[in-house]
Amino acid sequence: MKLEALPWLILFLPLLAAGIITLFTLRNKAVSAALSIGAIVTGFVLTLIFIKVNGFAGSETALNWLSIGNLNVDFGLKLDALSLMMLLIVTGVGSAIHIYSYGYMHEDPAFSRFFACLSLFTFSMLGIVLSNSFLQMFIFWELVGVSSYLLIGFWFEKASAADACKKAFLTNRIGDFGFMLGILMIFTVAGSLNFSSIKDQLVANPTLLGGTATLAGLLIFCGGMGKSAQFPLHVWLPDAMEGPTPVSALIHAATMVAAGVYMLCRVFFIFTPDALTAISWIGGFTALLAALIAVQQNDIKRILAYSTLSQLGYMVMGVGLAAPEAGMFHLTTHAFFKALLFLGAGSLIHAMHHEQDIWKMGALRKKMPVTYWTFMVGTLALAGVWPLSGFFSKDAILAAAHHHSLPLFILAVGVAGLTTFYMFRLVFVTFFGEAKSHDVDHAHESPGVMVWPLRILAVLSIIAGVIGIEGLFSEALKPGGEHPHGVLAQLIYPFQHAPVAACSGLAAFAVGLFAAWKLYANAKSDPLPAKLGGLSRAMANRFYFDELYEATVIRLHDLISTISDWIDRWIVEGFCLGLVRGGTDLTGRALRLAQTGNLQTYAFLFVLGVAVLLWFVLGK
Amino acid sequence: MISMTTLTLIFALPLLAAIVLAFVPRNLGFVMRAGAVGVTFVTMLLGILMFWQFNGAAVDANGYKFVSTIPWLGAESLGIACKFGVDGLNVGLVLMGAIVAFAAACCSFEIKTREKEFYILLLTMTGGILGAFMSTDLFFFYFFHELALVPTFIMIGVWGRGERKNFATFQITIYLSIGALLALIGLIALYLQLPVDARTFDIPTLTKYFTEHTIAHSAQMLIFPLLLLGFGILVSLWPFHSWAALGYGSAPSATAMLHAGVLKKFGLYGLIRIAIPFCPEVAQSHLQLIAWLALGNVLYVGWVAMKQKNLNLLIGNSSVAHMGMIFLGIASLNLIGVTGAVVIMIAHGFLAALTFGLSGYIYNQTGTLEMSELGGLAKKLRFIGVAFVMAAMAGCGLPGFLNFVGEATVFFGAWQVPALRTVTVLAVWGALIIGAVYMLRAVRAALHGPISDKWVNLSDANLWRKLPYAILIVSLLVFGFFPKLITEKIKPVTEQIVNMATVKPATPASSETVVMVESK
Repeated sequence: MKLEALPWLILFLPLLAAGIITLFTLRNKAVSAALSIGAIVTGFVLTLIFIKVNGFAGSETALNWLSIGNLNVDFGLKLDALSLMMLLIVTGVGSAIHIYSYGYMHEDPAFSRFFACLSLFTFSMLGIVLSNSFLQMFIFWELVGVSSYLLIGFWFEKASAADACKKAFLTNRIGDFGFMLGILMIFTVAGSLNFSSIKDQLVANPTLLGGTATLAGLLIFCGGMGKSAQFPLHVWLPDAMEGPTPVSALIHAATMVAAGVYMLCRVFFIFTPDALTAISWIGGFTALLAALIAVQQNDIKRILAYSTLSQLGYMVMGVGLAAPEAGMFHLTTHAFFKALLFLGAGSLIHAMHHEQDIWKMGALRKKMPVTYWTFMVGTLALAGVWPLSGFFSKDAILAAAHHHSLPLFILAVGVAGLTTFYMFRLVFVTFFGEAKSHDVDHAHESPGVMVWPLRILAVLSIIAGVIGIEGLFSEALKPGGEHPHGVLAQLIYPFQHAPVAACSGLAAFAVGLFAAWKLYANAKSDPLPAKLGGLSRAMANRFYFDELYEATVIRLHDLISTISDWIDRWIVEGFCLGLVRGGTDLTGRALRLAQTGNLQTYAFLFVLGVAVLLWFVLGK
Repeated sequence: MISMTTLTLIFALPLLAAIVLAFVPRNLGFVMRAGAVGVTFVTMLLGILMFWQFNGAAVDANGYKFVSTIPWLGAESLGIACKFGVDGLNVGLVLMGAIVAFAAACCSFEIKTREKEFYILLLTMTGGILGAFMSTDLFFFYFFHELALVPTFIMIGVWGRGERKNFATFQITIYLSIGALLALIGLIALYLQLPVDARTFDIPTLTKYFTEHTIAHSAQMLIFPLLLLGFGILVSLWPFHSWAALGYGSAPSATAMLHAGVLKKFGLYGLIRIAIPFCPEVAQSHLQLIAWLALGNVLYVGWVAMKQKNLNLLIGNSSVAHMGMIFLGIASLNLIGVTGAVVIMIAHGFLAALTFGLSGYIYNQTGTLEMSELGGLAKKLRFIGVAFVMAAMAGCGLPGFLNFVGEATVFFGAWQVPALRTVTVLAVWGALIIGAVYMLRAVRAALHGPISDKWVNLSDANLWRKLPYAILIVSLLVFGFFPKLITEKIKPVTEQIVNMATVKPATPASSETVVMVESK
């Protein structure tokens, strides 16, 4: 292993940048941006160099961070194909988003703070990627939670943003609660927190975790449910769109929500078949639920948010179907095209003076050609059109579903159709038809610093399916499995390997596109509410999950805390007064037990004297 | 090189300064302020130096370092000697106390009336606390605690704020006096367990004696509950907690910082140092009780904190809730858990001082801490806002801050005791969820959201006023990033204490307690 210091540098550069910005350069926009962008771009370049020199060979370095009894926590870096690929994605996509932010946030008074938070976020995310133990992952898991809190609540003076960041943090914390318990359970049995060590023990003794294996696995999955916004902890993600758009792109496309899926792949060895079945169904259900909700949203960022949720459901389902390599593959391609779509949406919003309602846009195709074309690429990739990247990764998951579970396969194909439908609804309404407000007339293409990241991401969205990413993940997660080599072989592989899945996916695309064209090609308002009635209202209102939680979980906690407060005020404090009344009697008895010398009497009188004195002076 | 006299100076300097201030004319307010800040600054430097120089080498046979004696204080006939020393258990607490004392002195600029008396009391309190933690003599351990405790009552009574100030003073005085009294009775009963000619208050000698001679079970049954109750009241163990939130809410910032941060740890220190190792059998049969009471702190008081409308009451309740985590660590009675408990003691000291200091700043700017009145303050108070968010995050156990190290360690320690699993699950819920709910509520209500017109003229802390908060945050971060700086010092002592407390399991129920000692 050469250049061992590089991964440490890659990890800590963003933290350094965040620290320097916070302490010294808050007043200097240019330096702050340079530091933050420089840190992540350097990280990307260093990652490339490291891979160039060492390839994707696995290695692990660690320093002892904490050691008490048998609790040994290392601060280590685990480098293998999985973490190195993820490192490339995070630093690569992250770099594009950092650069884009320079243009998008230029007018914001808190520009430097924004970049400090971005760098802190990058550091936390890289920490998750490089972790070699459960506790280290939990540590960075929490740090991602807090940096997303800071970014979502970046415009904290807006009440909705302040509420959204709080909601995101708390929902994530519920997942972390399960994660922590799972870690405790595994540690008690395995006596170690290190991934490799636990994996070796499990290989040597598959029944190591005994009857609690499924439970432990599901508790660990809770953490992923929080970060990757799986049902029933999905409610925070759409609200998190309150953050600035680059934040949405970073958090909700490339990094934070991907952390859950990444974690599932990293600790895939602990999941029992039962746990995997549960995971696959939760993933599948989330994919369907979110796709249905996306159909009736009108805010461009919310549509993309629900689309992210739905795609995350796909990835989680892929992992649950014992195909983590497919999940990671989809994560990678999704990172490219979803970042592209979010940044494209940001470009639209920027041009429309922060208007986010798609029914106030329209006809933007001519005004913003680069945004339009790149957005179209992202949409096609997301919809899974051959030969764009989304087709291959989605097909890998469809193939796994086809192989393991027919109901999930049907569900997945249905969701693929819905995906095409809601994405083309978005495209037709915003880019085609007539202008639906005056803002459209003044709209113009965004500056170069914003459109160049779009172009780069568009290229990646097109080619990412056939440049060997799938093979890399297969080797990392399922050594010995077959996978195609060469661009041409990869292009046709899905049709040879699982023709049913590939053709079903394309058919779903065709149906979705046709339906969207029929309904929205020249629509001035949404025809669906009239056709679907109550169902449409339920979709638009997110199936009332927020209201449900409000009425149950939140009310319950509120009730308990009201009761506790009442008891505290009237009974426990009252108890104090009772003590005083019976105080002489009580302390008198206590004194008798210690009636041995002068010392005690002295101390007692001293203390009592002070109390009585104060009662006389102040109590009246 | 720190000599033995410098250790004595750490607590003696503030006390001497208090005496000197008594002779300074009262119109020289500046001298009072500068004197208090300067003396606590020197104390803090000495504390840091002491901590830096403390390592495994050159400790005496009992594990103490820098042992020093003031020969003319004490009473030989009673076995009282004024002796001081630090080992792994109190070295961190003394460091924390010295840092918090400096921060508290810096935050005392808010005091505008009767400055002379205030600073004399503040310095007395500082010297008392540090002396109590450094004493290796049971008598002075208690004496110095009382020396620090009495000024607390007076400061709340005279310089306190809020409508319920008088009731708060009354309540805290009654509770803490009774708690201290019960502990005193327990300590004297413990002293009486020694044969007449061997009676001593010397803690190392006592430790050695009680390792070799077990106290009769009947005597343990008397002593341990007294100490638990007495020390427990001093630490606001549920259900004896109602004095704390209101008391801190009504206290001037510096008093709340010193009491909640430092002085309160006296009871926990006593439990760990004395009650549990000296009464091992009865202590083990009480572990379940302690754990459930601890849950009362973590969960119940956490819920109460969720409901508070006043920022200071919320912080006060959260401070009480954190005590539960320490009790849970103690109840696990294994190396991991008890070490974690000591880590939280130190972490909470910094944190409590930080939160009360910040709320004090806000109060001085706005004149209110009712959260419905506040809102959007982060817009005007940039630094205070950032520091408060950091404090809130440390309070809900965010990694990077020392509090996380302590809480996670306590979880791991408690989970190893099968009998405590249920309590631990609920405590994790309390720490991760409920803690986050009320902390973020405070941030949302006070700092986020639109700012009211009446607060547009607030001014952020200047460089000088930032200093105490910065020092506290840096302390939390440094130890949070490099926890071994602290845990490596604590470990040998907690290991010894745990061995002493678990070497002879008395009842089958408590034999489940697993002591994890690894030779690694």
